[in-house]
Amino acid sequence: MSSQSRVRRTVIGLLFLLPNILGFVAFIMVPLVMSLGMSFTDWDILRNNIFRHEPLHFIGAGNYLRLLHSAQFWQYLANTFFLMLGLPFAMAGSLGAALLLTQAGRARHRIKPALVLAGLVLAGSGFVLLRCGMAAGGVWFIFGVLAAGTLLVGVLTGGTLYRTLFYLPNFTAGVATFVLWKKLYNPSTGPVNLALAPVLDGFSRWVRAAPGIFAYGLPLLCAGLILLVAGWHFRRLRRQWDGSELGLMGLITGTIAMVGPFGLMLSWFGLGSGPATAVAGGIGVLFAGFTARRSRNWGRVKTLDKGLGAEVVLGLVLVPVLLLLGGGLVLGPTLPAAAATGIAPPDWLGDYYWAKPALMMMMLWAAIGSNNMILYLAGLSNIPPELYEAADMDGASAAQRFWHITWPQLAPVTFFICIMSVISGLQGGFEMARAMTLGGPAGSTTTLSYYIFTEGFETGRLGYASAVAWALFALVFALSLFNFRYGSRHVDD
Amino acid sequence: MKRAFLIVFLILAGSSAWLYWTQPDRVEKIPVLYWTTQDDPTKRETIALFKSWLQDHKLPPVDLRIDNVNQDPTKKLAQGLAGVGSDLFDIYTFQTELFASSGMLMDVTDKAQELGFGPEATYPAVRSDMVIDGRQYGFPRNAGGTICWISRDTFARYGIPEPTFRWSWDDFERIGRAFVTAANPPGTRQRAYFMQAAPRPIQVLRRGLGLSDFNETMTRCILDDPRNAEVMRRLYRWTVELHLFPTLAEENAMSADAGRAGDAIFYNFAKGRYATLYLPRWALIRIRPLGIRNLRAIEPFNSGFSNMEFACGVISVYAGTKHPVEAVRFLQYLTSDRFNDLIARCGDSLPPVPRFLHTEAFLHPPDHPEEWTVEESFLKLDPVLGIAYCRSPFVFLGTVYRIENEVYDSLLAGRVSPEDSGRMEADRVNAEIALNVQADAALRRKYEAMLQVQQRIDRLRAEGRKVPAAWITNPFDLVYYRTKGWLEEEPRP
Repeated sequence: MSSQSRVRRTVIGLLFLLPNILGFVAFIMVPLVMSLGMSFTDWDILRNNIFRHEPLHFIGAGNYLRLLHSAQFWQYLANTFFLMLGLPFAMAGSLGAALLLTQAGRARHRIKPALVLAGLVLAGSGFVLLRCGMAAGGVWFIFGVLAAGTLLVGVLTGGTLYRTLFYLPNFTAGVATFVLWKKLYNPSTGPVNLALAPVLDGFSRWVRAAPGIFAYGLPLLCAGLILLVAGWHFRRLRRQWDGSELGLMGLITGTIAMVGPFGLMLSWFGLGSGPATAVAGGIGVLFAGFTARRSRNWGRVKTLDKGLGAEVVLGLVLVPVLLLLGGGLVLGPTLPAAAATGIAPPDWLGDYYWAKPALMMMMLWAAIGSNNMILYLAGLSNIPPELYEAADMDGASAAQRFWHITWPQLAPVTFFICIMSVISGLQGGFEMARAMTLGGPAGSTTTLSYYIFTEGFETGRLGYASAVAWALFALVFALSLFNFRYGSRHVDD
Repeated sequence: MKRAFLIVFLILAGSSAWLYWTQPDRVEKIPVLYWTTQDDPTKRETIALFKSWLQDHKLPPVDLRIDNVNQDPTKKLAQGLAGVGSDLFDIYTFQTELFASSGMLMDVTDKAQELGFGPEATYPAVRSDMVIDGRQYGFPRNAGGTICWISRDTFARYGIPEPTFRWSWDDFERIGRAFVTAANPPGTRQRAYFMQAAPRPIQVLRRGLGLSDFNETMTRCILDDPRNAEVMRRLYRWTVELHLFPTLAEENAMSADAGRAGDAIFYNFAKGRYATLYLPRWALIRIRPLGIRNLRAIEPFNSGFSNMEFACGVISVYAGTKHPVEAVRFLQYLTSDRFNDLIARCGDSLPPVPRFLHTEAFLHPPDHPEEWTVEESFLKLDPVLGIAYCRSPFVFLGTVYRIENEVYDSLLAGRVSPEDSGRMEADRVNAEIALNVQADAALRRKYEAMLQVQQRIDRLRAEGRKVPAAWITNPFDLVYYRTKGWLEEEPRP
């Protein structure tokens, strides 16, 4: 190829790329650089715009210092992290959905069992309808008919319907789904509460019939489980420390994952946040200090951060579980009194304490059938079948096949999904808050992205809003680095 | 590929050119103005009357079109500051200072004097809604105070005595409790409330105790006052303990039950699920189609000092309009007989020019004889008790109300006590004032000057002496001090 022809091809290639490059530079690069610069100024849209040209002032790190001192920033950051607690469950759900869908294709020939199951579901829902009447059992009946119909059509179509249904949330416009969920969560006419009401009525009757079991039994059970989990976790940490499989940072992280929820539980019992933190912190320091003093082969320790990634992942699962058990511990004694007048379904979006969990559940629904599921489906189809054949010949059980073949083979996909989920989790929440709760009640569903919007366009402080946006970027960047640093080890393994 | 690229490029370029050349401004021979407002029959009639008014006054014709999709304040702000705002737009109480301080509103002070739509043409109480720092930024299209509407049929149905024209907090609580008990059979879920949740009568309650949101010079939020704690305690009691008001979530649920997004409150009022409403005269627009005929309008309940919130909907001209002359003519038209007659006739609050309150069209609308007593109440109440919102020049009213909503939600969720709620609100608003003053040198100078005036006021008050009227910028304090005999007319310091 002559040099003239090469130049010509390059020019033509660049011309093709030009619209994209221009778009990137104009709409991403320039605003990005500008917002970074503006975050160090007192840029206020009301004073610096096409009608008012007051000079901008460089205020150094003023905006960043302000956000560090802002109680609202920390509250909204905590909200953002709280909503992200659902990520491990969403990932597990996506994986579960992908595994089920790969099985669904093989279920085409299992029409008879499907028919029996669908018949049972229909009969069950019909029974509920007859037993409880249209008002209380109607929603359950509709759910039952839908479930049975889906099961049958799904089996008949070889899983195509399932794939479509699972992926539905992803190609439905966000705002439409938010409006739909708002209706689902309606405290008096929403299907969620209509379905919950008879269940809670029945539950209230149980509580009234045996108040002691719930007032004392449930808290005791939860306390026992908490102790069990704590004992298992602390024992595991010490063993890993003794075996030099855990560095100091991992030990501290693992300890925090345990004592953090414990501190929260203490505050739920009425111990002020200060004393609760002191008690939980004291226990953590004692345990970590005592463990770190134990003799070990220090020569085998290469890094302080050994095992840190695994502890973070485990912590993400452990914290919600412990908080749920803590909830049982706190709520148990109050149940008999609440059941005396009948336990009412929650006011999902209007109650300060329920609004965040309500949004988390909706996010979970959307995340299970999202692109993550498609990625897992692709990952599953890439696993060489010889591995499963070899495992079958060795007599491996289904669980062993999953744990020793599927899970390790999916590690790169899981790693990618983890990175993307953390990024979207930190950046997300704006549309949801805007459409469903306007960030309320009392700021309980305001995330950092919504805070950026209110600061930027309701008060006009674009400099400060830019600083919040860049703080968010720093957070995303740090967590992504963390993921690459500690998550990629499992991928390489 | 190259050919396809070229074809796509040509199609896009051609479409853009076609769009550009077929814009109404280019096609129409007369100026086309856009008005960002709600698209309803009153607005359409307003436009039709405007066109005939232009014709009658031998003024050049104008095509005025409604833009009802950009009513969100953030959209107005973003579009206005980007240079593509509508020529005219509606501005509500919380938005005036925000938009005016951005420079996107045209200063019509001189034109208003020339064409006869200056501040003196409307109610004194709403002047602060359109005049900022002595400059006029629009003219009201309607005005009015928020009063209590009584559905006499609902009271009669449950055998509850109606409140008197002037009633106290205790009357409200006593009658409200009787109504809620009578309208909600024991053992059933509450479906009827005494009054709707939003808007809350919080200003009236505070003012009833002689308390304003801000001090006399609007330099400090003073809601950390024990009187505010008393108001918040009452509101908590009436909402959470006695359920005289629904929570906002309960109200949303009732709206969803009614299946009428826009006028659910009125529908529930017609059905007897609300015994009273707290709304301005524009409620008539929604009440009339529902056939609620047996109505009364009474004073808002108070605890000592009778008062009423008074506000207006302003129409402003966009500073970047291409048709300033025609847009200003529209503001002049708002003072015309035919426009004021239209407002009086259709019930869209009070006509902007006060003398139209005394016309037959307002007092005795021939098609609605059942409203005659209601209209007389408006004439009796609005010009006498109406007091404008307190709008500090140092913090946007929208920001104050956002903070107030968050604090109020926290109060209802039981997260803060009534005393703490006031302190929290005052602290946050005062922090916003400090930020704004720090960022804007001109504002800071004004603030410092006002602080000195405030010190002099405090000194006089401590000595038990009268305060010169010219020193006070808080509209409520001005009225309150005058009523109490604490005011003295003196030249401004």
